[in-house]
Amino acid sequence: MAYPYVSDREVRVLSKYFGDPSARRVEEYVKRGGYQALKKAFGMGPDAVIDEVKASGLRGRGGAGFPAGVKWSFMPKEPTKPHYLLCNADESEPGTFKDRELMRWDPHQLIEGCLIAAYAIRAKQIYIYCRGEFFETTQVLAKALEDAYAKGYVGKDILGSGNDIDITIHLGGGAYICGEETGLMNSLEGRRGQPRVKPPFPAAVGAFGMPSTVNNVETLSAVPHIITNGGAWYRQWGTEKSPGTKLFCVSGHVNRPGNYELPLGFPLMELIDDICGGMRDGKALKAVIPGGSSVPLLNAEECAGCNLDYEGVQAAGSQLGCASVIVMDENTDIVKQVRRMVAFYAHESCGQCTPCREGTAWMTKILQRIEEGRGTEEDLQTLLDMSRQMTGTTICVLSDSAAAPVVSSIQKFKDEYLALIRRGERVGVA
Amino acid sequence: DAVLFEGDHQARFEKILTRYPNKQAALLPTLALAQEVRGHVSPQTMDRVAELLELAPAYVRGVTTFYTMYNKAPVGRHLVQVCTNISCNLCGADEVLEAFLRYTDTELGETSEDGDFTVIEAECLAACGFPTCVQINSRYYENVTPAEVPKIIEHLKSAGAGGR
Ligand SMILES: Cc1cc2nc3c(=O)[nH]c(=O)nc-3n(C[C@H](O)[C@H](O)[C@H](O)COP(=O)(O)O)c2cc1C
Ligand code: SF4
Ligand code: FES
Repeated sequence: MAYPYVSDREVRVLSKYFGDPSARRVEEYVKRGGYQALKKAFGMGPDAVIDEVKASGLRGRGGAGFPAGVKWSFMPKEPTKPHYLLCNADESEPGTFKDRELMRWDPHQLIEGCLIAAYAIRAKQIYIYCRGEFFETTQVLAKALEDAYAKGYVGKDILGSGNDIDITIHLGGGAYICGEETGLMNSLEGRRGQPRVKPPFPAAVGAFGMPSTVNNVETLSAVPHIITNGGAWYRQWGTEKSPGTKLFCVSGHVNRPGNYELPLGFPLMELIDDICGGMRDGKALKAVIPGGSSVPLLNAEECAGCNLDYEGVQAAGSQLGCASVIVMDENTDIVKQVRRMVAFYAHESCGQCTPCREGTAWMTKILQRIEEGRGTEEDLQTLLDMSRQMTGTTICVLSDSAAAPVVSSIQKFKDEYLALIRRGERVGVA
Repeated sequence: DAVLFEGDHQARFEKILTRYPNKQAALLPTLALAQEVRGHVSPQTMDRVAELLELAPAYVRGVTTFYTMYNKAPVGRHLVQVCTNISCNLCGADEVLEAFLRYTDTELGETSEDGDFTVIEAECLAACGFPTCVQINSRYYENVTPAEVPKIIEHLKSAGAGGR
């Protein structure tokens, strides 16, 4: 499969080899300078590695955007217990499809990034937690790992440096909540993947009770480039507060959906109109979810001035999240799509917190009722009240995530709800 | 009850144990291996796994039932999981799901009479740019349209079970 679509406006740092099956081979990776960053990191020492990543301003790509180097600096400098690096490859946020691509097209880039991060945080064991559905992807990754072990890039005394670092690929069992970092740790330990109350934070008490750091696949894949070229080099792209490049996962009603690597701060409408070839069938834009199903919807007006960096999307009224841009055209049934998203959260709620467990289930029922033309106007107020009770009241933010599309859609597309309620029919739907 | 792992599977089980600081952490990979051997994870299988990992049977049941990928009851030789989450949904996933149900002549979640197919809805499979995404056993099918469904089903019937 040739990589579906590329654009010459992309800056392909992490995604340069997407679509090229030979690029995943260890020989090819080494030929293009692979594992040299690891060697360089070993020469720098762990604290200098952390400083370089801090200087790059690289922010976590798993959704929260926390600066990676700062997170690493929370780990104890002189280990008294085993440390763990956990690579979050659970990728399950609806709209997001970048980590699977990073793993299956350039697995060594991720392996090298993991090794450098582990070295920086003084961990000798790495777990790559992959969602269980990724059989094919983990086969590619497992082959790459086997080759990396055979060549001495992973395991004992790596490259003769005296550093020992092991990597284990761990397959999940199918549960979105295991992508939440403390749910991931519980799942790794062979428990139900229920999030933990924080504090204590993972850097103090993480996997197996030991200091741990969790990073997303894309975050770690950027690390070898930063170590090779320096933090300042990475800052040539993006904005002051959101430096570097980012993979944008575009899905929905555009002509050319796919992954596009662009400087952060890229204008949303140029992404849709230029890079993705515009709206399918020449339809008008109705709404965009810019960061995966957990963030508020933007209406067409809000999209117009929106730049895709963490601050820009926030200013437009949503969040960048994992930059999963879901595009909806004028014929989209907003109520149906919101109901589908909330049903997802109801299915995935781990059930420990009452507002989340009850809220997601009841919201799904109410939305279903409205969709079927049996809703009332009071239902909208009930949904908004529930959203308020579900936000900021639970152990993790899944509950907040379920409320986000409900609140934003009622604010921005109230007429669609009202039309269903009043006439039992949908607005703007063919 | 028969031994759960033998030969190659036993070797893989032993290898799994070496990768974790304790036996409990091997639970998920062991359940996956058990499902590979038995096709699903029955209460008896859960008990076996509990014995192997020195865990309480009730504990293993509690964990197993938390996760969707461990089939608690037998499923068809081909488990068809159609993503109907938002990105696929916007591009017609409901019609793809309908086509799979029609051409396998099954109801959602029920296994066909010949034991070949079980069709279920899946949550986002992380292939949203290639809608509709359908996972059949271990394999991803991308950009699936309703028109292609009969061909896929014919192909699966002639190819046998395929890797799980
Ligand atoms: C419900 C929920 C699901 C999440 N799923 C993922 C996921 O699939 N992958 C991921 O990398 N981060 C996910 N996160 C974010 C993680 O908790 C964590 O912030 C992230 O892995 C940290 O890595 P980063 O700093 O490199 O972004 C999720 C968070 C929540 C609340
Ligand atoms: S908010 Fe929901 S998913 Fe998160 S811990 Fe509470 S019940 Fe579980
Ligand atoms: S929504 Fe179908 S694969 Fe993501």
